[in-house]
Amino acid sequence: MERRTDLRKNLFYYSIFIPAFAVIIFLTIYPVFSVLYMSFFKYKYLFDIKVFIGFKNFVRIIKDSLFQTSLFNTLIFSAVATIAEVTLGLFLALLFYGRFPGKRVFLIMAVFPMMISTMVVCAVWRTLYHFDFGLLNYILKTSGLKSVGWLINPNIALFSIILVDIWQWTPFAFIIIQAGLNSISKEIFEAASIDGAGYFNTLISITLPILSKQILLVFLLRTIDTFRIFSKVYALTQGGPGNSTETVSYYIYRQGFTYFNLGRATTASIYVLLVISVISVFYIRNIMREEA
Amino acid sequence: MAKIAMERKSIIFWILLFIVLLLVLFPIYWIVITSLKIPLENISPIPTFFPKKPTLGNYMNVFEGGFFRYLSNSLIVASSSTLISLTLSFLASYALVRHRFPLKLNYIFLIWILIVKILPPIVLAIPLYTLFTSARLINRLLGLIIVYQVYTLPYCLWMQYGFIRTIPIEYEQAAEIDGASKTQVLTRIVLPLSASGLVATAIFSIIVAWDEFLFALLFIRDPSLLTLPLRIVNFITEHETLWGELMGIGLLATLPVLLFSGYVYKRLTLSFSMGLK
Amino acid sequence: MKKAFSLSLILLFLIIPLFICAVGQQEKGPVKLTFIGRDAVYGDAIDIAISEYVKLNPQVSIENLELPYASQYEKVVIDMKGAVGTYDLILIDDPAATQFQRAGWLANLDELLKKRGEKLDPDLISTAVKLGRYPYADDGTLYGLPHIGNVELFVYRKDLFQKYGLSKPEKWDDVLAAAKKIQAGEKDVYGVVFRGVKGNPITSTSLPLFWAFGANVLDSKGRPALDTPEARNAWEFFLKLKDYAPEGVAAYNSAQVKDALYSGRAAMAIEVWPGWVPGLNDPSKSAVVGKAEVTTHPGQVKKSSPMLGIWLIGIPEASKNHEEALDFLLFLTGKETQIKIAEIGLPPTRESVFMEPGLIKKFPWYPVQVAAMKNGVGRPRTTQWKELEDIYGAYLQLVLIGKMTPADALKEANSKMKEVLE
Repeated sequence: MERRTDLRKNLFYYSIFIPAFAVIIFLTIYPVFSVLYMSFFKYKYLFDIKVFIGFKNFVRIIKDSLFQTSLFNTLIFSAVATIAEVTLGLFLALLFYGRFPGKRVFLIMAVFPMMISTMVVCAVWRTLYHFDFGLLNYILKTSGLKSVGWLINPNIALFSIILVDIWQWTPFAFIIIQAGLNSISKEIFEAASIDGAGYFNTLISITLPILSKQILLVFLLRTIDTFRIFSKVYALTQGGPGNSTETVSYYIYRQGFTYFNLGRATTASIYVLLVISVISVFYIRNIMREEA
Repeated sequence: MAKIAMERKSIIFWILLFIVLLLVLFPIYWIVITSLKIPLENISPIPTFFPKKPTLGNYMNVFEGGFFRYLSNSLIVASSSTLISLTLSFLASYALVRHRFPLKLNYIFLIWILIVKILPPIVLAIPLYTLFTSARLINRLLGLIIVYQVYTLPYCLWMQYGFIRTIPIEYEQAAEIDGASKTQVLTRIVLPLSASGLVATAIFSIIVAWDEFLFALLFIRDPSLLTLPLRIVNFITEHETLWGELMGIGLLATLPVLLFSGYVYKRLTLSFSMGLK
Repeated sequence: MKKAFSLSLILLFLIIPLFICAVGQQEKGPVKLTFIGRDAVYGDAIDIAISEYVKLNPQVSIENLELPYASQYEKVVIDMKGAVGTYDLILIDDPAATQFQRAGWLANLDELLKKRGEKLDPDLISTAVKLGRYPYADDGTLYGLPHIGNVELFVYRKDLFQKYGLSKPEKWDDVLAAAKKIQAGEKDVYGVVFRGVKGNPITSTSLPLFWAFGANVLDSKGRPALDTPEARNAWEFFLKLKDYAPEGVAAYNSAQVKDALYSGRAAMAIEVWPGWVPGLNDPSKSAVVGKAEVTTHPGQVKKSSPMLGIWLIGIPEASKNHEEALDFLLFLTGKETQIKIAEIGLPPTRESVFMEPGLIKKFPWYPVQVAAMKNGVGRPRTTQWKELEDIYGAYLQLVLIGKMTPADALKEANSKMKEVLE
């Protein structure tokens, strides 16, 4: 009898798990393994040149100064953008907690940016950033300050792109953290306020620990996403000025889709994979901690 | 917290809210007025904060360019792929949270989808193109819906996994003692409890599918099957950008997602939270 | 309520894909050709030709796919590589043609013409036709026909040159001197403008200058030749020009160059394409009507060698409609169609069309342009041009923004190019 319910339970879990499992396997096993395979070849897709070269791609790419710069820029981008987005998202979630008139309308307004097509977001920021006729420089000039080379100063351009990403994706962090905050039962807070804990005390000792799972999740998802930053670079600076906004995805895109050097493109992706695996092992450990 | 929320309706709260909304909304305001300006005004060296001669001409051009066809393609693709991802990921994440599969499958699977998620889609595109060509899924919306699972499913799985993990198991145990079947536990207890997580996941998934460009570009060739992002980039050409039309279609394309999010948010949070207590 | 919700969720999930299957499965008619080309005015040109063509050939229908530059290239390559045969006619930027021909993806047009019992019309300008041949020689096999005859031109402001007693620049030194003089005298006018965005834009902008200084990207044996005194002179000169360009020039692309020129904020544009200039004399778009002179590039140690940028059209080997596609291709590159296309501002590839009095009236620089085209030089014929171009453009921009000296940049670019070509 016991066994039978166990079996039925197992059957239940398998049957709800298998559909997603099957879809993922169908879509990814072949591509991912072909990626691994191709990285050991000098593979010029256009001419069917496919020569086994062992680890040569790996050596070449790690030595390529453009790849190094791209990796460095990507790390900066990902770290700054993620931290800023999570912090601001948390701030917004706390700001929006509780009831106040017009909450729903404000809430929808606040998540507006991430719903706009990325292409349009980039286009509007490009006009705002324009050196000669952009609104930002216009405001600076009329208030007597010097124009800033938002997208043309090699020291600033990367941060200008980060700013766009923050603008667009902070709402994402906000939504998830908010969902977590709403699921905390109100009694906990009430208990805390009876105990006389102040706002910041409650925040640090109660709210943040409970929210830690959501916050980690957002960190993880945003790290991965910002690590793949591509379309903003493509639309705003195309990697320039100089190499100041080259990112790994853009590097892979060019190797893969402009030159069709699949061997190199896949090797570069494997490096990305390695870097991000190191980062995500940390997250996964934390997220799954209790289970282990 | 209720007390704290009351306190925070202070002036500082409203000032902060105002600043946030200003920063968020200003670029959107800029999109709106750009879409209402005539072409010449959009390239004038001195930016204007309000259109001198407001026009709806840009919107007319967008509509005449077959906006509704692209809109319905996008709607079909985004909603179907979201529904699939949401359903599959909800079920699978529940299984992953509550059941230990043999061979450490839980870990392997979660890490595997993370790897998939990390790989730049560009790298997957070429092998997938070959795969889909042989499956006769190229140039069909169904093909797009399936291929979008590469983006949306790992995301949904991770998000759902994160949310379902926070649900205390006691509710389910109580229901089971009362004699509820597993299916009933899932639909009556777990589903309502993960409502706000489902909302966040759904909104996010639809946005990703709505905005996807690369696969749509490669997998669709029939102009009548184009999705909105493909149409949007057509307004950015080599020699000039049709600012008015670009911003116009950008706004129009945002409306469905916005309405969807508003609706899902209201519907789910209301009905489920009431069902719960 | 909850049950109903989950039920409808599942139902939707089942029904929608089915519905889409049904929708996706229509199609098929008589002969249907698919053309894959560019967006904007390039797309309009094809639409004009299609509407005329289907009037004469009602049994044929032609679908015109319009895409941005990079997307079009990606789609074409992936499709032709898989020999899927989705497209019957493809638009090719001339430097990419070498790759396609070498890979054997394009149908042999010589043979197809022979089958029809026709010969290539000699009216098509031979330097442009040659770009569609492989190997790149007058007797190479023909794989593509020239559709749009772009050639890089030079613009200067006649009125400003007169004001400062300058004559048409014959040498690049004259350009520098004029830029200096005009910028010193005129407030709000830049001496020169050009495209400074890395990659293709800055490369295209600088190649005529590079060539005029006697430098070359590849030597006659196809090896990188950047590490030479000529190349250094050219890049050092380019850097000097920058002092008379707008501060943000590193972010200038076609649209910004065009705006600067049209609004009268530039005395010279060292790179313009025929597609950008038709509006120069249109008072609703331009503040410099009748003041800007379109001409060929100055020389330096060598004569001016204008850069060709021809749009070719080829027929993929995998297409199932070779004959029908060729028929449309000949119509498209025929004289009457070219005149119609020229009227919307895209330059033809037939000598006789450049001589049409009606068109010369509208585009007074046509005689200059046809002369430039006949002496024009194509970009290096290599299968890896895109990669080389990106290297060239990346390093030149590093020089432009002052991150590297010309000598160092050229040396590094040279060794990178070597690595690519090996």
